[in-house]
Amino acid sequence: MGDSQYSFSLTTFSPSGKLVQIEHALTAVGSGQTSLGIKASNGVVIATEKKLPSILVDEASVQKIQHLTPNIGVVYSGMGPDFRVLVRKSRKQAEQYLRLYKEPIPVTQLVRETATVMQEFTQSGGVRPFGVSLLVAGYDDKGPQLYQVDPSGSYFSWKASAMGKNVSNAKTFLEKRYTEDMELDDAIHTAILTLKEGFEGEISSKNIEIGKIGADKVFRVLTPAEIDDYLAEVE
Amino acid sequence: TGTTIVGLIFKDGVILGADTRATEGPIVADKNCEKIHYMAPNIYCCGAGTAADTEAVTDMVSSQLRLHRYQTGRDSRVITALTLLKKHLFSYQGHVSAALVLGGVDITGPHLHTIYPHGSTDTLPFATMGSGSLAAMSVFEAKYKEGLTRDEGIKLVAESICSGIFNDLGSGSNVDICVITKGNKEYLRNYMEPNPRTYVSSKGYSFTKKTEVLLTKITPLLERVEITEVGEAMEE
Repeated sequence: MGDSQYSFSLTTFSPSGKLVQIEHALTAVGSGQTSLGIKASNGVVIATEKKLPSILVDEASVQKIQHLTPNIGVVYSGMGPDFRVLVRKSRKQAEQYLRLYKEPIPVTQLVRETATVMQEFTQSGGVRPFGVSLLVAGYDDKGPQLYQVDPSGSYFSWKASAMGKNVSNAKTFLEKRYTEDMELDDAIHTAILTLKEGFEGEISSKNIEIGKIGADKVFRVLTPAEIDDYLAEVE
Repeated sequence: TGTTIVGLIFKDGVILGADTRATEGPIVADKNCEKIHYMAPNIYCCGAGTAADTEAVTDMVSSQLRLHRYQTGRDSRVITALTLLKKHLFSYQGHVSAALVLGGVDITGPHLHTIYPHGSTDTLPFATMGSGSLAAMSVFEAKYKEGLTRDEGIKLVAESICSGIFNDLGSGSNVDICVITKGNKEYLRNYMEPNPRTYVSSKGYSFTKKTEVLLTKITPLLERVEITEVGEAMEE
């Protein structure tokens, strides 16, 4: 193998101990559209900006919040195409778990599996890290849960988190607004207000997406009509 | 292997039916098993042949259908299930012993198909499969007509399954029925029980004192064990 000296991972340590490819991936996330999530006492909400490159794009054809299982939803900041790959892999993983154990995959396990894939893409040859961070919202036997997964493959459970453009502002806002006993509807209001903080232009049901899961353990992406109702409430 | 499974199209959708006897050669292994398998919310599938194969193949395809629904964001079609099933069976050249009656209602209307273990398929208004298929088909051939009502359809399916139960040695016990209509389904488990136990001792069944003595002491399982997960929290 003549080319073997070039077949090591692109993600190679710099002498100072940094993995610059991962840092570049985090930069890609940091310049992506803002997404956030809040864990309430009786559910979880995730929300994101949906700014399209042109007014000519049909906004109904873009779905940034996706289902992984009936009780787990996910949203991203960063590169859309990379997100699609992760969603496909995660759904398959969840389905394999269901076939093997005849029980829905717990949120923690699905997050760990997804994070494992992201980690593998920082250590394998011929690939690059994913240019996305994920917010995973789920509800299972352990109650409502919110996780953030980063390109490095590290993951954390959050009470509330934000990522993408304006992270620091959004996080500061969430820190001020968050309370432990918050209910799902309050959380949705807070999510909208947080998005509104750093929003350029007029916020509407066409340029944001909201997904929620309550005690019924069914994750659902809100329709534009429902978002309009919530927007009217926070006015 | 012995089984009677049937399906028919009626006015508003599809009705599937099955007996509930599972056999191992000459032995009745299960008197009340389930032969109508879930494929998708709007699609079900009756299985005859090797129970493990029908169960596994319907499970695998229903899993693929679920992923396909996530990808496309719409309800599954019966033709999709049919293609996935026949592709799998054909690739195994008949070694996966699954003979199926697939039925469902999708955006294009009600559909009923039979699938043979080698992967060939039929599209029919009424169908039967399994060792009781001849007995069941004789009822359909005599009485099926287009535009049956729900009640007439259920009655005819139950009658054809009963024909299998009583005339085919490989089939027996109860009648399971599944009615699928547009946007709705009813799984009527043990719709008929034409073979109840004929004799139960009025004195009850007891065993001599000697057989009750246990040599080992049984300690009940703990309700819930707390497990501390290692490596759960990670550092960046």
